[in-house]
Amino acid sequence: MTTLELRAVTKRYKKDTVVDDVSLTVADGETLVLFGPSGAGKTVLLRLIAGVVEPEEGQILIDDEDMFDVDAEHRGVGMAFQNFALFPHMSAFDNIASPLTVGKRSVDEIKAGVDRVAKLLKIDHVLHHAPRELSNGQKQRTSLARALAGSPPLLLLDDPLRNVDAKLRFEMRLELPQLLAGQGATVIYVTQDYKEAMALGQRIAVLAEGRIAQIGTPEQIYLSPKTIDIARLFGDPVINCYDVVGQRDDTGVFVELSKQRLSLDDSKANCVDKNSVLGIRPESIKFVPENTPGSIPITIEAETPLNEKVVTLALTEGGREMLISRPSGTVAPTTGNAFVKIDQRALLIFDQTTGENFVDSSEIDVDRGVAA
Amino acid sequence: MPVPSQVSKRRGKRLVSRRALPYLLSLPALLVCIGILVPFVTAIYYSLQRYRLSQPWAREMNWGDNYVRFMSDSKFWNTLVVSLEYAFLTVGFELILGLGIALLLQKRTKLNNAVSIMLLMPLMTAPALAALMWKLMTNPGFGILNYFLTLIGIDDFRWGASPSSALFTVVLVDIWVYTPFIMILLLAGLRSLPTQPFEAAALDGVPRMQQFFRITLPMLTPYILTAALFRLLESIQQFDIIYAMTQGGPGDTLTVFQVEAYLNYFQSTNVGRSSALLLILWAITFFISNIFIKNWLRLRERARGEG
Amino acid sequence: MEHQSKLETVLRGIALLLVVVFFMFPIFWIFLMSLQTNETILRVPPSINFEPTLSNYRALITGKLETSAASLEINFLQNLWNSVFLSVASVSLALLLGVPAAYAFARHKFKGSEDIAFTLLSFRFAPPLLVLLPLSLYFQKMGLADTYLGLIWVYQLICLPLILWIVRGYFEDISPDIEYAYRVAGHSWFSTFRKIALPLAGPGIAAAGLLAFIFAWNNFIFALVLASADKQPVTVGALAFITASGIQYGQIAAAIVMSIAPTLALALYAQKYLVEGLSLGAVKG
Repeated sequence: MTTLELRAVTKRYKKDTVVDDVSLTVADGETLVLFGPSGAGKTVLLRLIAGVVEPEEGQILIDDEDMFDVDAEHRGVGMAFQNFALFPHMSAFDNIASPLTVGKRSVDEIKAGVDRVAKLLKIDHVLHHAPRELSNGQKQRTSLARALAGSPPLLLLDDPLRNVDAKLRFEMRLELPQLLAGQGATVIYVTQDYKEAMALGQRIAVLAEGRIAQIGTPEQIYLSPKTIDIARLFGDPVINCYDVVGQRDDTGVFVELSKQRLSLDDSKANCVDKNSVLGIRPESIKFVPENTPGSIPITIEAETPLNEKVVTLALTEGGREMLISRPSGTVAPTTGNAFVKIDQRALLIFDQTTGENFVDSSEIDVDRGVAA
Repeated sequence: MPVPSQVSKRRGKRLVSRRALPYLLSLPALLVCIGILVPFVTAIYYSLQRYRLSQPWAREMNWGDNYVRFMSDSKFWNTLVVSLEYAFLTVGFELILGLGIALLLQKRTKLNNAVSIMLLMPLMTAPALAALMWKLMTNPGFGILNYFLTLIGIDDFRWGASPSSALFTVVLVDIWVYTPFIMILLLAGLRSLPTQPFEAAALDGVPRMQQFFRITLPMLTPYILTAALFRLLESIQQFDIIYAMTQGGPGDTLTVFQVEAYLNYFQSTNVGRSSALLLILWAITFFISNIFIKNWLRLRERARGEG
Repeated sequence: MEHQSKLETVLRGIALLLVVVFFMFPIFWIFLMSLQTNETILRVPPSINFEPTLSNYRALITGKLETSAASLEINFLQNLWNSVFLSVASVSLALLLGVPAAYAFARHKFKGSEDIAFTLLSFRFAPPLLVLLPLSLYFQKMGLADTYLGLIWVYQLICLPLILWIVRGYFEDISPDIEYAYRVAGHSWFSTFRKIALPLAGPGIAAAGLLAFIFAWNNFIFALVLASADKQPVTVGALAFITASGIQYGQIAAAIVMSIAPTLALALYAQKYLVEGLSLGAVKG
C-alpha cells in the first residue's frame, strides 16, 4: 500500500537542470509510465525517487512521509535498471537474493523468496550461472527478478526492455502487465517506446527537457497531445503534419488541405486566422473509391508492411508527403493514384509558433490529484 | 500474491549525513596531507633563515638573503647547470631510444611481448642499486665494461671517477633504468592508435618515413609529452643514482639540486642554504608539474573513455 | 601487413638484440658475479668459465664475512627484513587510508575533492628532501626519528598518491548503477562498498598495492635521511655494505641480487597492470 508524491523536485548537474520542478502523485497500486526521449531526465527522476541521488530542491514523499532523511536502503523500493546492473561477481541466485539478505532471514526463506520470483520470470534453471554466462534476455529477467524479490511496495523500472531484442521485447510487453499486477505494487515505469507506454501505463507522464510536458491516461495523450512534439512522439508511423491557416465561415471552423475542406469542431476555434499545424494520424486516413465526396487524391510512392499494419507513403496533389496506415490483410491500392478520406474527428491542430494544442489540455486531462 | 509485510519500514534515519560521508572517507588521507604540508611550510621558513645546525646560536632570520646570495654563488650556478644538463640529456636520450624501441616492438608478436616484459626489469630495479651494479661493472680493477673498452683500444677510462666522464656515467645509468619507462608508455600509446589512418595511407602509397612523421608522430604526441614531462620532473630531482654512484663528486661535478642540498645539510649543516636550494627546485618542478598534470589529465580522460 | 625486405628484417633483429643485450647484460653479469669468488671475479680477462658457488649468499645469510684479513659481522638480513617490513607496512597503511579516499573521490564529487586529490598527487612530484629535511628535525623532537613508525609515515608520500589515483580510476570504471542496485536492495553504503565496490575494484587495488610495494622497496632517499643502520632497507644498506666490506665483490653482487630479486619477481607477476600504474592511470596497458 504505497503512494508516491513529488513536490517541485529539481536536480541540477553543474549548470544543467536535468529535472526541473517536477510535481506528480502516484496512487496506491497505480502504474505510472515516465515517457520521453533520451536525456529528458527520466532515469534521474527514478534515481531521485530511489534515493541514490539527491535533489537540489523539492520534496519526495512515500506514503506521505518526507524522504529527505531516509537513505536509499530504507525506502522500500525495488529497482530494475536499463543496463541490468547485475553484480558481475555474483551468481544469478545471489543477485536475486540481494534484497533478501538484509535482516535476519534464514537460508530457506531466502531460497524460497528467490525461487518464487525465478519461477515467475522463468529463470529457475539458470540461477547458478554468473551474469556473464546469461543471455541478454536472461539477464533482463534476472534484473527484474531482483527488483521483485523483496516484494517492494514501490517498483521503479528503468526502461527494462531497452536492451533486449525485438522479439523478447514483444513477449515481455505482453507478460509484464500481468506480472506487475500480481505484485500489487505501485509502479513507476520508464520507457522511450510509446507502445510500451500505452500498453503498461494507467497514466503516462511525458517528460521533455526535465519537465513534465503532459500527464494523463494513454488515451488522453494519444487523442489530445498537449504539443505537436508530444503528438510526434506518440504514434508509429509518425503523425502527418501540415502547415495550414485556420478559417471560419457560416458553417464553422475549417482548414484546407489539397483544396479539400476539413472541418474542425468549435473547441478548436482558436486556430482561426492563425498559422497552424494540422496533425493527421496515419491511421485516421482511409482509402476510399474514386470521387467519393470529400476525398483527397494522392499518388502512392511506396508501401511498407510494418508488423501488424501496412504503411503507405503517398504524395498529395500539392506534393506534400502523407503517411497512411491500415491493418495488415486489408485491401487497398498499392500503386498509382488513389483517393483517401480523413476522419475529421481525429484531427489535431497546433499553434505553429508555440507548438501547443489549440485545445486547452486542462480541459482534456482528467486530473487525478495532480497539481496543475 | 504475497504483498509487502514490511509496511512500517524505513527503520533507521541515517546516522551519518550523506554530505559528510565523503569527507569522512578521505579524512585520514587528508590528515597525512597536512602532516606533509607542515614540514613544507617549515622548509620555507628555514630558507629565510641563517641557520646552521652546528651554530645554533647564530640562527636568525635573514629573509631573502639566502636567495640573493645565489646570484653571485658560482656553486649555485653549477648546481643549476648540472641539474638541467642531467635532466635534458637523460630525457632526450631516453625519448629517442624509448621511441625507437617502442617502434621496434610495435607489432604484437610473442618475441616482442617477451622483450617488452624483459625491459621492465631495469625499471623495477631500485635506482640506487642500479648505480651500484654499474659501479661494479665500471670498477677500474675488474669492471667488465673497462675490459670491453680495452678491447677497442681505450685504456684507463675512469667512468664516474673522472670529472670529464662522470656526467656521462650517471646519465648512462639513468638511461638504463628509465628508458623502459618511456618505452612502455609509448608502446601502449602506439598500440592504442586507430588503424584506419595507416591503412588509408598505405593504400595511397605514402612512404613509410612520411607516414611516421605525418601520422604516427602527431598522434603519439600526447603520449610523448606526458612521458617526457613525467621523466623531466623526476630527472631534475635525481638523487639516488648520482649519490650512490659518486656522492656528487668528483669535486662538485655532479652536485645536482638534491645532492647539493643533502650535502649542505648533512656535511656543512647549512639548513638555510639547503632549504633555499630545495625551494628553487620545488618552484621548477611545480612549473613543470602543472603542465604535466594538464596533459596527463587529458590522456587519463581518454584512457577511461575507452575503458 | 606490410611487406618487409630481408635487409629490414635483419636490421630489426640486430637492433632488437642490441636492446636486449644493453638492458639485460648488467643484471646477467651481476648475477654471474654473485656466484663467483673474488678470485675468479678479478681474473683478467674476465671469463664466464668458473665453478659457481653459493658461498656469497651463504655468507650474507649467516652474517659472517670472511676476508683474507679478518672476519666481519654484517647484518644484511636485517636490511632485507627492514625492506620487507617497511614496504608491507607502508603499503598496508596506504591501502587503508587511500582506498576509502579513492572511493570518495571517485563516487562523490564533493567540494574540494579535486583539490585534495591534486595536492596528494603533487607530493609525487615535489622534491622529497624538501619535506624530509625539516621532517627529520621534527622527528627528533617527536621521538619518531629512526623508528619504523616515522619511516612508514613518510613512505606514504610515495604510496598514497599512487594508490589513490590508480584505485580511483578502477572505482570510476564500476558502473554507478551496480552500486545503486545494491543500495536499493536494502544495503547500507558501507556494505555496498564492501560487497560491491571492493571486490570489483579488487584487481586494481592489488595492482596498485604491488606497484606501491615496488616503489617503497626501491626507495632510497627516505631511509638515507631518516634511518640509522638497524632500520635501513636494502637500498641504503647495500651502499653502506660496500664501504664496510671493502673488496668482497662477490658478496656485494649477491647482496644486490637478493635486493632486486623481489621487485623484479613482483614486476613480472603484475606486468599486466604496470603500464597503467606507472602512468598513474593515464595509459591503459
